[in-house]
Parts: sequence; C-alpha cells; structure tokens
Amino acid sequence: MNSVSPASVQYLSHDELPHSDGPQLFNSRAPIHGESYRRSISAAGSAHGQHSEPDEVDKIKCKVLSVWNKVKYGWTVKSKTNFSKLSPVYLFGYIYHFDREEDVERFHRDFASRIWLTYRREFQQLEGTTWTTDCGWGCMLRSGQMLLAQGLLVHFLGRDWTWPAALLPSGPAETDPGRSSSSPHHSVARLPPVPSLLASQSRGPSERWTLPRNCSPGELEKEGRHCKIISWFADRPEAPFGIHRLVDLGRSSGKRAGDWYGPSVTAHIVRKAVDCCSELGSVAVYVSQDCTVYKGDVAQLAGRSEGRAPWEPCAEWKAVIILVPMRLGGDSLNPAYVDCVKELLRLDFCIGIIGGKPRHSLYFVGYQDDFLLYLDPHYCQPFVDTTRENFPLESFHCNFPRKTAFSKMDPSCTIGFYARHSGEFEQLCSKLTQVRHPSKPHLPRGILQGGLNYANHMWPPSAPSPENATLGTPGIEEPGLGFR
Amino acid sequence: MQQGKMHPMHTYQSIRPFKQRKSFASRMEEVIGIREKFPTKVPVIVERYQRERYLPLLDKTKFLVPQELTMTQFITIIRGRMGLGSTQAFYLLVNNKTLASMSLTLAEIYQDYKDEDGFVYMTYASQEMFGYQLATDKGKSNECLQKT
Repeated sequence: MNSVSPASVQYLSHDELPHSDGPQLFNSRAPIHGESYRRSISAAGSAHGQHSEPDEVDKIKCKVLSVWNKVKYGWTVKSKTNFSKLSPVYLFGYIYHFDREEDVERFHRDFASRIWLTYRREFQQLEGTTWTTDCGWGCMLRSGQMLLAQGLLVHFLGRDWTWPAALLPSGPAETDPGRSSSSPHHSVARLPPVPSLLASQSRGPSERWTLPRNCSPGELEKEGRHCKIISWFADRPEAPFGIHRLVDLGRSSGKRAGDWYGPSVTAHIVRKAVDCCSELGSVAVYVSQDCTVYKGDVAQLAGRSEGRAPWEPCAEWKAVIILVPMRLGGDSLNPAYVDCVKELLRLDFCIGIIGGKPRHSLYFVGYQDDFLLYLDPHYCQPFVDTTRENFPLESFHCNFPRKTAFSKMDPSCTIGFYARHSGEFEQLCSKLTQVRHPSKPHLPRGILQGGLNYANHMWPPSAPSPENATLGTPGIEEPGLGFR
Repeated sequence: MQQGKMHPMHTYQSIRPFKQRKSFASRMEEVIGIREKFPTKVPVIVERYQRERYLPLLDKTKFLVPQELTMTQFITIIRGRMGLGSTQAFYLLVNNKTLASMSLTLAEIYQDYKDEDGFVYMTYASQEMFGYQLATDKGKSNECLQKT
C-alpha cells in the first residue's frame, strides 16, 4: 500500500530530470504560474467532505491529504522532459524525427490535440456518496476515459486531425535565455516556444481559446465534433462516459467510488458505457479474455447486417475498439515484453495503453528509446461545465509530453486498438500475427515464445473459428488433473 | 463467487511456496516417480502470487496435466475450479514472469520452462489496482461510504 510520503514527490525527478548528455531542454513551456498554484491550494478543502461523521482528527487528516494532493499534482506539471534527437519518437503509430524542426512542431501539435482527462474537483456528488472529486482514486478511470476518447477522436475525426488551437500562442512566447543558443548538432531536441495551456487557466473565465479566423465550414464542423466528444466525458451524471456513469457501471464489478480500479475492470466499465450509450451507434467495444481475441466474437459484435456474412467486404460494420487486458509479469514487467510493447505502439491501429507505474495510473501514448510517453491524469482541475456554449477546452488538452522508463511500467495494463471496418480488422490481425512471427531468429526460442506470445494470444492461428468462437469444454475431466 | 465480483481479501493467507516446503531431492524424486507412472502427463505446480489480494486460494497445488492440453484449456479448468466470472482478470504466469502463449500445449510449455527439479511452476494473479491515497484514509472512506 502506498503511503503519501514526501519521497513520493520525487518520482518526478527520477526520469524527468534533464539528462546529462546535452544542455538543451525539450520542454520550453512556462512553469505553472504562482497564481494557479495558490488557487489550487485555496480550493484544496474540497475533498474533505467525504466523511459523513468525521471526527476532528479525520477531518484534519483529510484536509492535509487533500492539500498535499493538490501540491503534489500541481508540481507534476512543472517538470521538464528531454527527448533525443537521434532516435525516432512514436506517437500512436506515427513517427517523428526530432532532428527535423518541422517534425518537432508536428509532434507537438499531434500530442496537444489528444484529449487529456484528469482528476476534477467540485463536480456534482457521485450518487449515494459524498464524493465531489475523484482526486486520489480515479486515476485509472481517467486513463480509461482518455483511451476511449482517443478511439472516438480517431473514429469521428481521423488519426490525422489536429486541434487548430493546439499551438495557438496565448501571449508572448516565453523563452529561457539559457536555452536560446541551441545549435543543430546537439543531441537533445528543443520544441519551439509554445504557450502553456495550463497557465492560461489563470486568465479570467471569459477569455478562452478561439479558432483561427477564416475557418472553413469543414473545420467548424470538426471543431463541433471535437467539443461533442469532450462533452461526453464531462463530470456530470448525464454524460455517457463521465466519471458518474463509469463509477455507476463499476458497481456490478464490486467497485465503488473511492476504490482503486485496475486496467481490466476499467476496460469492462468502458465497454459497458459504450454499450449503454444510445448516441454512439457506430462504435462497439470488445474486451478480450485471457489475452485472446476471438475473430468470430468481434464479427458478431461489429456486424450489423443480418443475412449477410459480416466478413463480406461490403457488409456493414461498426467500428470496433479492442481492449486487451494483460499482465506482463509478476512483481515487475518482464523485460522480454518491452520490444513487443514497442512494436504494438508503432501500429497505426494502437490507441494507447492504460496502465502506469505501480499504484500510479498513466495513459501510455507512444515511446522513444526505452521511455514510454504518457498523459498523466494526476492533476486536479476544477469542474468545467460543458453544457455552456463555447465552454473552455484548454483544460482538456496537454502540451507537456512526459516520459518514464519501460522498467518502471507496472505489469498490469490494457492495450487498446481501433479498427474502422472489417478490412482494417483483418489488417490488424495480420499485423498482430507479424508481431509474433518468428522474424527475430536471434532470440532464443524461450523468449520468442514468451516475448512474442501475447500477439499469438490475440490472434492465435489455432484460435477457434467463427463457428466455435466461444471456449469449448476442454476434453478433460477435472478430477484427473490433481495429484497428491 | 459471483460473476465479475471482486472482494479484496486483505489478509494474505501466507503459505510457504512449494519449493520451500520440500527439498530439491524429494521434489526431483517425486517427478521421476510421476513421469515413470504417467509418461504422457506433465507435473505442474500452480500457486497464488504472493501479493494477490482478489483471487482465492486453489484447493490443490499440484496438477498432473495431459500433455496435449493447451494453455487455453488449462486456464479454463483453473478458472472453473475457482468459479471465476468471465470478466474477472486472471493470468497464469510461468515462472512468475511469462504469459505463456495460449495455443501452446502443456508438452511444449514443459519443454521450454521446466524447472531443474522437473516441475513446471506457474503463478496465478489478477491485476494491480491504481490509486494514490493513504491506506488508512482509504479504509476510512470506505467505511463512510458504507454508512451513507
């Protein structure tokens, strides 16, 4: 069990400290303004109302913890991340070379366009509880929301879509004089000065991002969809994928508000939420059991037309989000799986991984070398009312990519894929088969089977055909198995 | 156990691992005896992950498995023995670190992963949970929620 000791803050500094191999810092975003930091402190009492009959000690303890959370989560954004210029950066299957200036900007635009969902406070009470925040317990649900949001972004706007306001300057670009002398031969990349999205929270509520002028009707329509998707994740009971709905759906898995959630439970909660959402008829979610994706089950889930085999090319298909919960080791991540995780993150079809460091959920979106790139839900932001017209979007996007070593990744995770139609699903299957294909003869057989096997799980050649997609009764009598 | 429900068992039933309970010599002897008697069956030790908090203990540790059985079939049997629902996370890790391929047969597993003593060791675990809070505080909040 984790204790919130001052040492836990240091997790930031381990992998995010500047590397010694170059003086250039990648992240030139401004540190959080003191004002927003103070605001979080002053609002920190919001989480203390969870106890119905709190005694004084509990009350104080809760308050201290709450303040501590705010301080901690406030600090996390201040850290800086270095990226190497020498090796490619992968983000949801797209590749960026940081030795090219235009790639650095494209990467940043891509990253800042992803939907970022974090802890929130001061939202409507979760039904049957006194919780008005998910601070301290909802991080895995937030990661799950981000995974689904990425799937929906790809579905409704395409992988190439970027938020037009992603790199809009919020004022004079802040530059660090110490870093202005960058020369091309340095091995660490530096982003062009970009505005701090979070810092903009300290502006008045009336100020908000506006689209660039001369927006085409097409762009306006896309922006409408973008806002719509975000509003589905709003922290209100009516939102189909909001924290209220997810906590509600978690009850049948024995989970309650305030509990900790795992990547597998979260995958099933997301599946149920999409099942229940009447607004979203064109997407289905499939969660695999035992790391195995049964083609027939997916076809059944995605195939809409009756009387026609769903595998026919012209058959109408729902898009499918495939979630594969897994455990890649016992106490820690088995290093043999690192290459496989990388290979999966390089696939266009991959919409990320929900997992994290032990007890600390993160949404993994890509990697560079031996570091995973992630979006971190551990930042407590105030509730945003998405029912208002032109509600502010900046708190739903993040422009400070961060990374953590693969060796710190918790073995429990859920990998997500998106396939738009049956053709894409077939492609995904064949790619997954290649992941496990013995194309790496230098690996000993044990590692090949161990390291590459889960793709085999997902798409085993020996998997049941669509006719017998569900697990049959094994031809063995149970009592015969045990021995003394 | 009801389908999909997970009740944390906060007290770990600490049972010493099989390897610690028996000496190497006696384990090896046992395997030789079994292999002679049942040459087509694979001796497997299945134990709960030391820090597992959700899955129950199995009533048996030693399994003698027909070698042609696949991992999928074997896992289905273990899941069934525990009465787990289909949405309950359950992973069988060989040597506490490797997710064996579901399409492999136990004979193949045995060939690749058998221990020096001749057994194959497997650990079962669900998934870790994620959150960030004082343990005591969490317990308190839960009590609170039950009251409300």
